Amino acid sequence: MIATKLKEKLGLGSILPRPTSTPAPAAEREIDLRHEEDEALVRRSQKGESAAFDVLVERYKERLYATVYHMTSNHEDANDLVQETFIKAYKSLQSFRGQSSFYTWVYRIAVNRTINFVKRRKNRNQYSLDDLDSSIQSDPDLVEMQSHATPRREVGLNELQEKLNEALQKLSESHRAVVTLHDIQGMTHADIAKVVGCSEGTVRSRLFYARQQLQGLLSEYL
Amino acid sequence: MDCQKTQQLFDDLTHDRLAPAIATQVRQHLADCTDCRVLEQRTGRLQRLLALKRYERPAPEYFDDFLSEFHGRVQAEARKIGWWEGVLGRVDDFLAAESMRVWRYSFTSALGVAAVVGLAWLGLRQTGDPVVAAMDQTTAANSSLAVAETTLPPPHSTPQTIDTSLPNLLSASSADYQPASVGSVVLVPAPAHTDSSTPRYVLDRLSITPASYDVPSVHF
Repeated sequence: MIATKLKEKLGLGSILPRPTSTPAPAAEREIDLRHEEDEALVRRSQKGESAAFDVLVERYKERLYATVYHMTSNHEDANDLVQETFIKAYKSLQSFRGQSSFYTWVYRIAVNRTINFVKRRKNRNQYSLDDLDSSIQSDPDLVEMQSHATPRREVGLNELQEKLNEALQKLSESHRAVVTLHDIQGMTHADIAKVVGCSEGTVRSRLFYARQQLQGLLSEYL
Repeated sequence: MDCQKTQQLFDDLTHDRLAPAIATQVRQHLADCTDCRVLEQRTGRLQRLLALKRYERPAPEYFDDFLSEFHGRVQAEARKIGWWEGVLGRVDDFLAAESMRVWRYSFTSALGVAAVVGLAWLGLRQTGDPVVAAMDQTTAANSSLAVAETTLPPPHSTPQTIDTSLPNLLSASSADYQPASVGSVVLVPAPAHTDSSTPRYVLDRLSITPASYDVPSVHF
């Protein structure tokens, strides 16, 4: 009892194991919550409704995973970092005032954590790559690239995947972050500026220099 | 529109985020400028190449246990958390809040200054500041001098103790002394280094001059 109260005071009490006696209503409740906006779910979570935070986790886990994965090129590290990101977000939820969207806020946590992590493990790059989805074979960009008169027209997909990851890992952490968010994730400059915590001009400048470096590293595929 | 401005707008042109008038200007510049056109084509190819990374993704069932793992980690963290970690976490959250962003750097700077001052103070206490050490030495010296003045004997007390023993032995041997002579040469010792005043040191009482002091006078 005392431990429960202490955990609640520390902001950890609301995610205690849920009662299993009434599973059906809880599941229905979760289905309802899935249609709610982020702001409403955040407010519910701040009031201690852990199911609302679960919906936020479900909503953003894959996108966050993809961002972190492309920055680390490591499957296991990406999973750990996304888990840590959500734990940090959950614990800090009371301090979230809604001045930015939840999406931007949680992305900022993830990107900052990943940048710190990548800086720490700088000298031990270990790739653990996800499999390529088989639908890549029919991607028009890949088809065009293979038909284009590049020096590496007969490029194997696995080799291309490795080269892309190697090239990305050679960028600085801040350059890698903007390239990942813009060219892979498709975020706008304004959103990236909010996530990374700099001006839009800085984002454009970082993108420009990162692309210059990547064009040098991947020249045989361009 | 110049090259630099055009190159900054490549992304916006690609994603149709430009106003029609500006988009027309950019396209016109690209039609006229070979360098910008080549750069725009290479940038486009690079973006399409990077976009292929979207096909790198884990199997669909990979995320099935994500939520339960999240709950497990939160509970594990709640179990191992100490009260100080809770307090630090709260402070961290407080400073991380968007309303506190302005004060974050001030707080961090103040904390840093306090840490430096604290460390410097500790360092001074352990190694000793030259000024403080000098002050300490002066104080110690003054106190020891004060003690010495009260306990030490008068300045001539020590020589007097030797004065009573050694000179008696020497005076006995000096009575038998005769000037040395070598043939017609008489070696006369130089006048003894004596003083009529009260002797201060043992050697002042010697009736003969030490050998090393002898300056032989040669008479032909």
